[in-house]
Amino acid sequence: MPSFTFHPDYYRYYFGPEHPFSPVRQEMLLSLLEALEVPLPLDEPAPASREALCTVHAPAFVDAVAQAAPDDPTTHDTAKGLGTADVPVFEDMHDAARLLVGGTLHAAQAVASGQTPKALQLGGGLHHGHAALASGFCVYNDLSVAIHHLRAEGLRVAYLDVDVHHGDGVQALHYDDPDVLTLSLHETGRYLFPGTGRVHELGRDAGKGYSLNVPLEPFTEDDSYLDVFERVVPYALDHFQPDVLLVQCGADAHFSDPLADLLLTTQGFERLFRRILALTDEYTDGRAVLTLGGGYAPDATVRIWALLILLLQNHPLPDALPADWLATWSEQLDATLTPTLHDAPQAFDIPRRDTIAAQNTQVSKRLLELVAPAWYQAW
Amino acid sequence: MLVQDLMQAPVHTATADQSLGAVYAFMQNQQVRHLPVLRDDRLVGVITDRDLRLATSQLRSDPFDPTDAVADVMSQPPHTAGPLDPIEEAARLMRQHAIGCLPVVDGEILVGIVTGTDLLDALMRLTGISKPGGRLEVRLPDETGQLARLTATVARQGGNIRSVLSYSESANALRVLFQVDTIKTRALARALHAEGIDVLWPPIGPPTA
Repeated sequence: MPSFTFHPDYYRYYFGPEHPFSPVRQEMLLSLLEALEVPLPLDEPAPASREALCTVHAPAFVDAVAQAAPDDPTTHDTAKGLGTADVPVFEDMHDAARLLVGGTLHAAQAVASGQTPKALQLGGGLHHGHAALASGFCVYNDLSVAIHHLRAEGLRVAYLDVDVHHGDGVQALHYDDPDVLTLSLHETGRYLFPGTGRVHELGRDAGKGYSLNVPLEPFTEDDSYLDVFERVVPYALDHFQPDVLLVQCGADAHFSDPLADLLLTTQGFERLFRRILALTDEYTDGRAVLTLGGGYAPDATVRIWALLILLLQNHPLPDALPADWLATWSEQLDATLTPTLHDAPQAFDIPRRDTIAAQNTQVSKRLLELVAPAWYQAW
Repeated sequence: MLVQDLMQAPVHTATADQSLGAVYAFMQNQQVRHLPVLRDDRLVGVITDRDLRLATSQLRSDPFDPTDAVADVMSQPPHTAGPLDPIEEAARLMRQHAIGCLPVVDGEILVGIVTGTDLLDALMRLTGISKPGGRLEVRLPDETGQLARLTATVARQGGNIRSVLSYSESANALRVLFQVDTIKTRALARALHAEGIDVLWPPIGPPTA
């Protein structure tokens, strides 16, 4: 039985009503599962200690976060990304951020100790956090702290990031480690934040060949996405032979997401999640730590994460969503919500579809050609 | 960006009376393709690995000998750049004369060298990113105040511009590509669009379904 990690104080990681990284997404998600009568026992984590944070972050950065006060601009260290457009300072930021880290750490501990094969942290996934730079809605990098724990337990970690943005923080923090494979599928950084994640970013020194990036064309659809996934991910896992998979399950590759340009549907996400879960059976004896991540269209994000939870529990997938739940949340959000778990069938009018798919195929081939020398012989 | 910002210094050199064989070995050891040539500490020419290969090729009717002097083979007088020249001036000279390097001289003194590789590095510095950010691309009328309108709108939205690239697209249009310190480039695009700015990327509206 997978375990689930959540704490009501996750809602305190809140940048304000205008900010897209909103805890309303978890609130909707939990109430949806309740309305669907899906049993969801939740473990409450403790906040991560300073010592745990400093396995990844510079002590001076942790101090700067702890000292940042919303009302005192002199405490906003913008050189460390604090008090910027994407990471405004909020009340008790340090405690809220380290609780999210604690949750991912808790999930990692549950898997590493053998208590459960799979643990989903219902939050976190803050993959843009750097050693001394808050960025892209991320203060502390919970994923990286969890990787350090898994490594300390002697496990080889494959990190898979399906958020639409490049997992730049996690990549940078493990760039020279040959025992951590980072694998990110994302919309190309040609325009999209954070701008990195090109195929030639392969790792450094001993870690060369253990950072893999698949930058996808804007307007990539399900079939091309899953084709590229199939070309790269199983092959990389087969070479790396991980003990555990850590997955950042951002939902912002969905077509309705306001911050990016990929065109995945919930049907595509179902196929993707099923494939990821099958790969854990194949390569890690079923061991996986999963987190949430980006996802800025609440209607789609919540349905995608509900799908993930239902699949993790081997629960049958409902067709329609509960009417009461829909009524409550469409009123609260002042928006029309999709009445079914899945999207209505989509037909996108993408004149360049073939070119886009061909480019994605070519990029994934190029990646494998570039990484081969690192895997099979010395440079 | 000036030549002094990207030139290589100190610079390896050859002397006019050195043998071709000695200079060939030196280039191999130092992994360089271009050497300014000095005589009595004054710059008199440039010798390249290509000069050496062509001069000594067995395909020539009268190939030079490894013992011949650099002075017999080098290009002279050399084209040079000054440390305060803008890099585009250096690039233009290299293109115009179809050459791969420019020794950099300050008055009479050789102070460095610029090669095509350094210009590629400059291109990467100008177009690359050093911090996380999102990019937008716009088309502006080539008129006074247009760029100011763009940057003022970005500033009002709280965006910090990390880099700006621009080039003339046609007689009256300027293409501008800029990097901002935010994920939320769509909101920024909408604000620019509302100001009447022609936003080429990202898309203004919701994705087409």
